[in-house]
Amino acid sequence: MRYSYIKPRKKTALSKDMQLLFTFFGVTLIMLFLTYGFLVFRDYRFDQNHTEILQEEKDLQASINMMKLKITSIENQNILSERVFTKNSVLKDSIHNLFDLVPARITLSQAQIMENGLILYGVTPNKDIYNFMLQAPLRSIFHRTYSSFYPLDNGWFRFVSTNYIDEESNDEYK
Amino acid sequence: MNISRQSIYILSLSVLLLTFVLIFSFLVLIPNGKEYRLKRVEIKKEYKKLKQLSDFSYETSMTLQKLKADNGHIITAFATPFTSARFEKQHRGYFSSLKLSKLEKKENEDNFTVYEVNTTSEISSPKSFYNFLEAVNKSDWIVAVNFPISFKRDGEMINSSFTMKVYSNNKDKVKDSNTSGNL
Repeated sequence: MRYSYIKPRKKTALSKDMQLLFTFFGVTLIMLFLTYGFLVFRDYRFDQNHTEILQEEKDLQASINMMKLKITSIENQNILSERVFTKNSVLKDSIHNLFDLVPARITLSQAQIMENGLILYGVTPNKDIYNFMLQAPLRSIFHRTYSSFYPLDNGWFRFVSTNYIDEESNDEYK
Repeated sequence: MNISRQSIYILSLSVLLLTFVLIFSFLVLIPNGKEYRLKRVEIKKEYKKLKQLSDFSYETSMTLQKLKADNGHIITAFATPFTSARFEKQHRGYFSSLKLSKLEKKENEDNFTVYEVNTTSEISSPKSFYNFLEAVNKSDWIVAVNFPISFKRDGEMINSSFTMKVYSNNKDKVKDSNTSGNL
């Protein structure tokens, strides 16, 4: 026996309104969680990058420090070698000038070159030649010059010339 | 006013979900977003700093390479252990005879190890000694000819004696063969 003239419609727990509601909030929540996931991932990557950058900075700094040490060492080596080479060249010129200073008529038998002095031994035909041709230029170079003469049998003189540069201006002359 | 039960359910659920969305957004997403922005700026600065450091490292490396290339001889000379026999072999041409005494370690100078060696030699003319002084600057070591220097005539030859300072950056690497005797 029928009590209604219409056919009964099916009733579901998810009505049209509920479906719309769930779809709307579902999409919203998915977007929120995706954004959150993106932020968390980026945060993790930033932390990772930060650690990598710090490590790389540390390595670079160590490498730079090492290179700076090497540069300083090479520069020091360069400065010292230049000083040594210059000293050798100056020494060569000084000895060259010393021997050029000795006139042809005076013969040297020994020369001692010290840091702040020069001792020359030799023979001269007479004292005047020595005084004018050797002692005069030596006096212009050294602060203190002492000469001793010893007569020889042939009328010539053996001489010892001792010349010093005073300590306070030694560096300047060197 | 007649509100159906389903409408009340929908409204309650909507309010609940909206509240969750708002709370989640304001308490979690927005602070995280701000932090993300700050970190992004910070990481950009760090990358910039790293790039500057990297460029500086490259420049320093180039400077070092150039210095190494320009001063190859000097670097090698400081690192080469001094051997009396080799020195004598290299420079015997300038002397009629050359004797080197035993190497003595002196005080360090400018952080370099300094060794001293006394030398006695025989030359035919001072020109040989000038040539030796020129050659010693191109030798395998950093050698400074030092005072006192003595020249003494002996017949046609000149006996000379002088001191040499050998500079090295390798401590205890200098070998002394202590060779003596006329070459």
